[in-house]
Amino acid sequence: MSEAIFCDDLLTAAFPGILKHDPICAKSSHFTVPKDRLPAISHYIHTQPSLRGRLTLLWACDDRPVRDSYGLYYLFTLEASHHWVVLSTELAGHDRLFPSITPHIHAAQWYEREIRDMFGLIPQGHPDLRRLVRHEHWPKGTHPLQKDFSWNNVLERQQGEYRFHHIEGEGVFEVPVGPIHAGIIESGHFRFSVAGEPIMQLELRHFWKHRGVEKLFEQLTLTDAVLLAERVSGDTTVGHALAYCQAVEALLHLEVPRRANYLRSLFLELERLYNHLGDIGAMCNDTAYALAHAHCGRLKERIMQLNDRLTGSRFLRGVIEVGGVTQDIESRRLVEIVEELSHIQSDFSEVGAIIFANASLTDRLETTGVLNERTAWDHAVIGIVGRASGRDCDLRRDRPFAAYDELPVNVALYRYGDARARLRVRGDEIHESIRLIREVRDKIPNGPIASQPRSLPKPGAWTLAAVEGWRGEILYMVMAGEDGRIHRCKVRDPSFVNWPAIQWAVLGNIIPDFPLINKSFNLSYAGNDL
Amino acid sequence: MFRIIKKSLRIGVVTGRYQKANKPELPVTPEAQDRARLFKRSLAIREVDTGSCNACEMEMNALLNPVYDADRFGIHIAASPRHADALVVTGPVTVNMERALKDVHKQTSDPKIVIALGDCAINCGMFKGSYAVTGPVERHIPVDVRIPGCPPRPAEILAVLSELQGKDNTA
Repeated sequence: MSEAIFCDDLLTAAFPGILKHDPICAKSSHFTVPKDRLPAISHYIHTQPSLRGRLTLLWACDDRPVRDSYGLYYLFTLEASHHWVVLSTELAGHDRLFPSITPHIHAAQWYEREIRDMFGLIPQGHPDLRRLVRHEHWPKGTHPLQKDFSWNNVLERQQGEYRFHHIEGEGVFEVPVGPIHAGIIESGHFRFSVAGEPIMQLELRHFWKHRGVEKLFEQLTLTDAVLLAERVSGDTTVGHALAYCQAVEALLHLEVPRRANYLRSLFLELERLYNHLGDIGAMCNDTAYALAHAHCGRLKERIMQLNDRLTGSRFLRGVIEVGGVTQDIESRRLVEIVEELSHIQSDFSEVGAIIFANASLTDRLETTGVLNERTAWDHAVIGIVGRASGRDCDLRRDRPFAAYDELPVNVALYRYGDARARLRVRGDEIHESIRLIREVRDKIPNGPIASQPRSLPKPGAWTLAAVEGWRGEILYMVMAGEDGRIHRCKVRDPSFVNWPAIQWAVLGNIIPDFPLINKSFNLSYAGNDL
Repeated sequence: MFRIIKKSLRIGVVTGRYQKANKPELPVTPEAQDRARLFKRSLAIREVDTGSCNACEMEMNALLNPVYDADRFGIHIAASPRHADALVVTGPVTVNMERALKDVHKQTSDPKIVIALGDCAINCGMFKGSYAVTGPVERHIPVDVRIPGCPPRPAEILAVLSELQGKDNTA
């Protein structure tokens, strides 16, 4: 609490004009600021040594049906205390311009372009105003998240051209890759500029898979939309469902039973396990080490079959619901899980020893795709990628959710920022997850596994929820509408934050190493494109 | 070296250690089987993602792991549509991917088979009607085989593919 008072005092002293509100959730502060002072205040929060705010989320909201204004919200996480600071401002009447903070805070770049595409609000002073989500063939003036844009609108096509950044000079080539790739990968476009072997520039062109997820949320009720949250990014089914449910539970003032919280942690760790195992295998495969790939593929399959036996879904779909979980795991089954995981752990330790004894593999991984700590900070990089670059952040420890307040987590941290560090983080987290699941078995209390929602939230009430999924921090902002419906739901997968950073990590590397670097990040295209 | 050999000997063969799937929900049509007969005992697949949530991709990837090892049935993944006998399409077709899907279909040499994988590819699933989705795969290109599920299990995918190939792969 003292942290909150300290930060609030600092801000109100430095900027007397800002208005303080009630906090939206625990460990947070909320201020309304005048639009023209936004860049100065956000710059202050970002750079002030005692605050060091990391831009965590930036979203807009169309409030016109009620208030004749658009709302803009900036969420910062303070580096030392992990306290949240929300700044909000309003664009009233016909005002469609807001000052861009990108010149000071690099991490805002994609958020502001996204707001421009989805709402038609223009960030003044933004260095790059090309379209992001709406590809060139979308007609002018289509801004899907405006309330007067109908969700089932049929879009026409227009002629248009996307302008890539070009590097010109003798011997400079451009290599376009995608949207359809050679392996079984999702769709995205990469444009490399190379002179000889080293990459001089990489430009991403994503959002091929934009499905209109945020607009679809607005058509659903608060309790039904879990199904959609599960399908934002298939490999993070539990992470997204959990983050969404936590937001809704906060809106409904719903207390989740302790047993349900433990089970939620169990499912989240199972999801982390199978993804990390798969990633380690895939990284080995990209260095042409097929043996390790086969072993990891086998281990991953064991966990997915375990998931299937436990819940009837290999991806743990349908286990998380608003208020708790849908399935109980008996203590007998818990013992079985731990036994199976102990086998997997010793099996994986042997595989790990084989992997790291292979000099040609470590040689390929070391110093490949280095993302240094400074660049990681500038892009507000989070999750496994951040932890491999010395960014010590893990929500399970910093802002405990589910049962993590009673299950302390040892955070894996490496500083080199290369592909090997990212492999190491995953390896350490596999052991840590199995340890956590053992703790779940020991500490899980008896009791009910779900509580029923009784009331409906007040229209216009909103809240934020965050979950450390296997990729990193997943954020949901849910604003309630009339009759238990959703007025606005902002989804932020960690991929959206980490994708731009990959453009810096590949510089100076050779194109044949790109698949390896990309795999070491392993970001979701679906979760990014929404 | 000895460590690797020892490990491999201890693990043994894991192929086939999965629960076999039942008969496919949607039977493969005789027309599709006729066309598949042209490829004899092998099938080169090109996977195209037109907007899935990536769960279907993960299950396609799982087909290639040592447990399912689809290669033993002559099923392999081609890196280019020009080398492919069959296109596996996942996800509802988004506005942004529509043209890429049509291009890929055009680039795949005839004769070819199109397989819609997962509920989204068959009927758009939860994304039906969205402004960013143009419709199921069959609205844009002719579909021969449908594999329902969200996502279908690898064993189910394998069962449909073997029915398509007209052989019993359950052994």
